[in-house]
Amino acid sequence: MRRWDNRAWLGVLPVVLIVAFSAVVPLMTVVNYSVQDIFDLNNRLFVGFEWYRDTLRDPRFLEALLRQLGFSALVLAIEIPLGILVARNLPRRGASAGVWLVVLAIPLLIPWNVVGTIWQMFARPDIGLLGAGVNALGLDFNFTADPVDAWIVLLMMDVWHWTSLVALLAYAGLAAIPEPYYQAAELDGAGRWQVFRHVELPGLKPVLLIAGLLRLMDSLMIYTEPFVLTGGGPGSSTTFLSQHLTTMAVGQFDLGPAAAFSVLYFLVILLLCWLFYTTVMRSDDVEGGPGER
Amino acid sequence: MAEIRLDDVAHRYPGAAADTLSGVNLVIPAGEAHALLGGSGAGKTTLVNLLSGLQPPSAGTLSFDGVDVGSLPPRDRRVAQVFQFPVLYQSMTVAEVLGFPLRNRGWKRAAARERARDIAGRLDLTRWLDARAAALPLFQQQLVGIGRALVRPDIALVLLDEPLTAVEPATKWQLRRAIRDVQRELGATMVYVTHDQTEAMTFADRISVVHDGRVLQTDTPEALYNRPAHEHVAHFIGSPGMNLLQATVAGGTFRVGDQTVAAARGLGDGPCTLGFRPEWAALDRDGAGPVATVRGARVLGVEAHRPVGIVTADLGGQTVRTRQPIDVEPGDRVALRVDPARLVAFRDGVRVATVEAARA
Repeated sequence: MRRWDNRAWLGVLPVVLIVAFSAVVPLMTVVNYSVQDIFDLNNRLFVGFEWYRDTLRDPRFLEALLRQLGFSALVLAIEIPLGILVARNLPRRGASAGVWLVVLAIPLLIPWNVVGTIWQMFARPDIGLLGAGVNALGLDFNFTADPVDAWIVLLMMDVWHWTSLVALLAYAGLAAIPEPYYQAAELDGAGRWQVFRHVELPGLKPVLLIAGLLRLMDSLMIYTEPFVLTGGGPGSSTTFLSQHLTTMAVGQFDLGPAAAFSVLYFLVILLLCWLFYTTVMRSDDVEGGPGER
Repeated sequence: MAEIRLDDVAHRYPGAAADTLSGVNLVIPAGEAHALLGGSGAGKTTLVNLLSGLQPPSAGTLSFDGVDVGSLPPRDRRVAQVFQFPVLYQSMTVAEVLGFPLRNRGWKRAAARERARDIAGRLDLTRWLDARAAALPLFQQQLVGIGRALVRPDIALVLLDEPLTAVEPATKWQLRRAIRDVQRELGATMVYVTHDQTEAMTFADRISVVHDGRVLQTDTPEALYNRPAHEHVAHFIGSPGMNLLQATVAGGTFRVGDQTVAAARGLGDGPCTLGFRPEWAALDRDGAGPVATVRGARVLGVEAHRPVGIVTADLGGQTVRTRQPIDVEPGDRVALRVDPARLVAFRDGVRVATVEAARA
């Protein structure tokens, strides 16, 4: 007969420790800061939800949040359909398929601040190919002065940087759809749109869910590229949550409000990703898609 | 429904050294349940793809009701297909799946739904009409696939590519029965692809045995069983398959070793193969029998389903199997007795026509 051996718990200990130090402890430190006013190590004051109230009433936070939501929504609305479009038009086999995949992967390999720098130069109204080119067409373009221009460049940069990810995932998803689905649709007399709507889209659903989640999370956290490209300006028209937070925590050393901000930021991302996931999952069963038998 | 006709059809994949299919001549009358039977790699799937239009024939003509369809794309051929596993559109209800081929060809919503309801009724799917098709049990999903294939009233040919693969073994016969019933009811021309001879034999009016890119024989199940045109067919069909005994023709008689077996009128001297089904023969100790008796066999083993089982014996280095009462034991010296009227003679792998005369 075997007896329970509680020493087995020791086997779990390494994982618990790693998770504790990598996630729980830093997060709880932030939570700790967010409910106190700290002057120095021995001089602090418990303030409860004071910082949270302040943050939620701070118009700069609300504006940054609004900008953030708008940016993420636009990024998803452009990159997901565009990525699918690219994936559908890639060759399925042959040598050219490999070349295309490598070309597509290139933007994903470029460090984020380099991406920002590239576009900063590319879009410069005086010497940049894009900026100067548009100006030469007679359109008034200056992303350092005009918020709309700044947003356009920012979106173009993000689309250039990340559509490849969606395209590559969608490409893999398309490749996983068994050939008989296309044959059946052909015999049924389905048109191109119907093949897309009834064969490809359901087959792509699992990978699009992943692609959408990745792009949503990443776009909510965007920092480096706009920091390099516009520095959050002109004014604060491209200041998103992370940049606002950095200004508070590092620039002004407001640790309490910055901690409360961080917790709220984290909760916003968590909430949005959960909403996204449940909405997509509910709209139709993902399991049993054409990719499975 | 249409008459399907293949004249000298061949197919070769681009860049391949040899034909995947060659010299296929086949006429499938309208309303026939036809089976393509063969092992894997025999060329069945290629033949199906030629019929559906997924691949063009590289030689010969393919016609439906006398109209050459060889160059038509699949959607214009009035062909439907049932696949190995259910291939249904994820978000559609059963009624929508069934109506899909009709809606794509300009049917009004109400008319398509009416027709879908009619087909669903024939396949016992009525209560699932508004359920999501892909969420049904596999058996019903496959029925929906069959319904979709039959829904167009102008359909010329329905292809079934091993349609029982996905369903549970216990329900395979039910599905086969359902297919067969609806085929009879609608008088659909069906081509059923399988590697399983029992499936082919129980489903089809006629069977084409495909082997090595050729159609070896097209005939009724009975004829394939009793008078195989080819050694491969003789061996492939039946379980165990036909016995194929090396023999010679000398002076108008079949001889096995130095024993005379039966008359072989009109057949020139030379080697040949004698085929007989295990149940057409017996191995017994007396050895005193009618004409086709071969002495000197030794029992190797018996497979007991007493009182009838399969007896395996060695006959001068050749193995023969019979289905008979088990009244012998391993090691017994026995004689092989075969009904001479049922012997099938092959020369160079092909049934020799003159044996018919020899039987008379």
